Amino acid sequence: MDDSLLAVKGVSKTFGGVVHALDDISLAARRNEIVGIVGENGAGKSTLMKILVGVYPPDKGELYHKGEKVPFPRDPKEAAKRGISIVYQEKGVIPWLKVYQFLFLGHEDKYVKFSKLQTDKMKKQAADILEELHVKCDAEVFMHELPLSTQKMVEIARAILSVRLESGEDGTTPIIILDEPTGPLNDEERRELFSDLLEMKKNASFFFISHIIPEVREFTDRVHVLRDGKLVANYDFSEEKIEEEDLFRAIVGRESSEYISKVEIKGLASKTVALTAKDLTKKGHYYDITFDLHEGECVGIFGPAGSGKSQIIRTIAGIMSFEKGELVVNGQKLKASELPYVRLKKGIGYFSGETGKELFLNWPILKNISFVNMQKILGKFMPVINFNAERKMAQRIVQLLRIRTPSVNTDCYSLSGGNKQKVSVGKWVERKPDILLLDDPTIGIDVGAREDIYEVLSEMKKSGICMILVSDDPKEYSILCDRIMFVMDGRIQKVLSPDEFRKVVGI
Amino acid sequence: MTTRPGLSREWLRKNMTTVGPIVFVIAVEVVFQMINPFFLKYQGIISLIYSMSYFLVAACGLTFVIMTGSFDFSVPSLLKLSALLCVLYIEDLGLWVIPLALLVCVGFGFINGLFLAKFNVPSFMATLGVSIVVEGIARYLSKGFLQIMDDKAFRSLSTTFIAGLPSVFYWGMGIWLISIFLALRTPFGRRTYAVGGNLIGAALSDTNVARHRIYVFMLSGFLSGLAGVLYMAQMGGGSVEMGADMAIPLFASVVAGGTALTGGVGGPHRTLLGVIIITWIQAGMNMLAIGRDIQMLTFGLIAIGMSIATIDRKRKIIK
Repeated sequence: MDDSLLAVKGVSKTFGGVVHALDDISLAARRNEIVGIVGENGAGKSTLMKILVGVYPPDKGELYHKGEKVPFPRDPKEAAKRGISIVYQEKGVIPWLKVYQFLFLGHEDKYVKFSKLQTDKMKKQAADILEELHVKCDAEVFMHELPLSTQKMVEIARAILSVRLESGEDGTTPIIILDEPTGPLNDEERRELFSDLLEMKKNASFFFISHIIPEVREFTDRVHVLRDGKLVANYDFSEEKIEEEDLFRAIVGRESSEYISKVEIKGLASKTVALTAKDLTKKGHYYDITFDLHEGECVGIFGPAGSGKSQIIRTIAGIMSFEKGELVVNGQKLKASELPYVRLKKGIGYFSGETGKELFLNWPILKNISFVNMQKILGKFMPVINFNAERKMAQRIVQLLRIRTPSVNTDCYSLSGGNKQKVSVGKWVERKPDILLLDDPTIGIDVGAREDIYEVLSEMKKSGICMILVSDDPKEYSILCDRIMFVMDGRIQKVLSPDEFRKVVGI
Repeated sequence: MTTRPGLSREWLRKNMTTVGPIVFVIAVEVVFQMINPFFLKYQGIISLIYSMSYFLVAACGLTFVIMTGSFDFSVPSLLKLSALLCVLYIEDLGLWVIPLALLVCVGFGFINGLFLAKFNVPSFMATLGVSIVVEGIARYLSKGFLQIMDDKAFRSLSTTFIAGLPSVFYWGMGIWLISIFLALRTPFGRRTYAVGGNLIGAALSDTNVARHRIYVFMLSGFLSGLAGVLYMAQMGGGSVEMGADMAIPLFASVVAGGTALTGGVGGPHRTLLGVIIITWIQAGMNMLAIGRDIQMLTFGLIAIGMSIATIDRKRKIIK
């Protein structure tokens, strides 16, 4: 720890005294290095970083700055005084500000003279710092005119600037936390960003949070792997050669691998085709996507973030439109710009694991379940909701999915994440669409709830419902899918069997 | 554990938007009764019913719009336009003027909905614009004169006494009950709550969100028109100036009942309480000869106060 710039020791954090978000974490950043922090959703990456910038206080732990013990910051301003600043994943940029205005946002009070803003001084300083940090842009253009990667760089420059302005001395090396900075970028922009970052390393240290393994391996000096709030592995790329597979294994862990072999469906070739995609294209997102989906089959669309997999599934759901190609469901050709409700009528249901996206949080469970199953609970003679039938339907689903709740009248707000997700799945179990699209169905929920959901989805598969899966979790593909299409840069590269897939990702 | 006091406080907090208006109604009643013993005598009740019933009809329509998280500024002007159409053309058309007036209002409701659903104009702006257009049409048609309605058959719509109460009361109650039924027991109502509660969620179900929003605005237009017909029938005349100060009390009555401007919460069943609060205060103040100025001030404060009390602060409001 002697040469470390910033170090944390034994940091723990629990939420509500139950969930161990962080358990005894110790790590450090040295001068001029990029430290990768990787892990699944909910592994604790963001919590750790929020503790560093003073958003949350830790329950336990110590913070060292240049070897000296210091208290944890209580707010972002205090963190900036110690040299720590963060660039958030998104929503960081204000498009209608000019670059120099954005750079000094929140620090204008330091540039006021006779109650007038000294814009010339700001512009000059902005140009200086942009040059110093090798950000290639004009200080007087609007943010939205810049390419995404440059916008990110300006954000990083702003973080470094805020450290300098707050700490007051030039000697402090800024420690910048980058929270999944490459999310919205395409491959070229990514490479651009990284070559700029390597330049910036001369002036700062970085914590680089990501779940995209190749970029972490390529651009960071060291990497810490978090899983379920624990530090499970540390790798130093200067000392050892680390394969992507090693990282993958460390991130994903092996806990529920025994589940993998539970579900298998054979003999699909003889089944009828439910959905056909032919040369589906939307420029800038995906190109020439062609595949068949058979009755009772689950096809996975796998690929790194930004590969176009989410766009493909959202196109089939009707959230996005396609430009070229053909989409045929049950022999019926679909229009390119149909909305989700039309697709649902034709038998395509869309289930997203994003909390609150399709769930009505202020509604009780029973209304959530009945909402897409309205036809089943209407009276015989009049289109009037039969409350009794509605309650019975919900009770059946609650039992089937083992949803933990005092009653079906409980508002979904008060359910845990896993149980919320089960309610979302439950309504599709009842609806039984011909095709169910799964968009990250178990994102951010615990293993127990996951397995319950997998079990129900497998049951649905057996009954002939076919599915398309997109997920951030490779395990999920090997559990649910019969075929996995590997997508990169918007094109299908390879179609893998589950066994081949497991070998490729190493699980 | 001593959960009881905590529990009851919790219950009160959760049901504040229901308990609040009821307590308020009782308080209003007691105060006015003390000041003016005739407040709840037969004559007082009749005048209360007259000021309340048509109001309730219009408020029910507005409630549906607010439940979807939108707003309809055009309710008072459509009410006025419908009333004026009736009085202006009753001689030419006879009672056929009623369906005509309703149709016109439904049409404007459709336009409101179209602006929102197809062109994504915020409903505040779209309906404000439409209401000004409607205002202009009303002014043009009536030429600013006071118009007298002397068709007996038309007037009997509101003023026939059944079991001691004027027929407008039964209209109001009937529409109110139908609205409740529509909101709570039909897919239409469920979808209305859904659109207001979680727009994306509604779009991902089998709800045609754009069409539903148009339907809701058409319903609001229809009920505004009906309220206008009833209003004209009970008042027996009016000029383009009528309903000028109806807007704020109308909006206040919906929120006072507990339908949050964020959408997805509340419903027409609650609007009755809001209408009672507003119209009773109005009537009480009129009896005490309290001027319009103080009245407007009061309703404005009630509207803002209830918005604060009912709004779902976990969500964004601007729509």
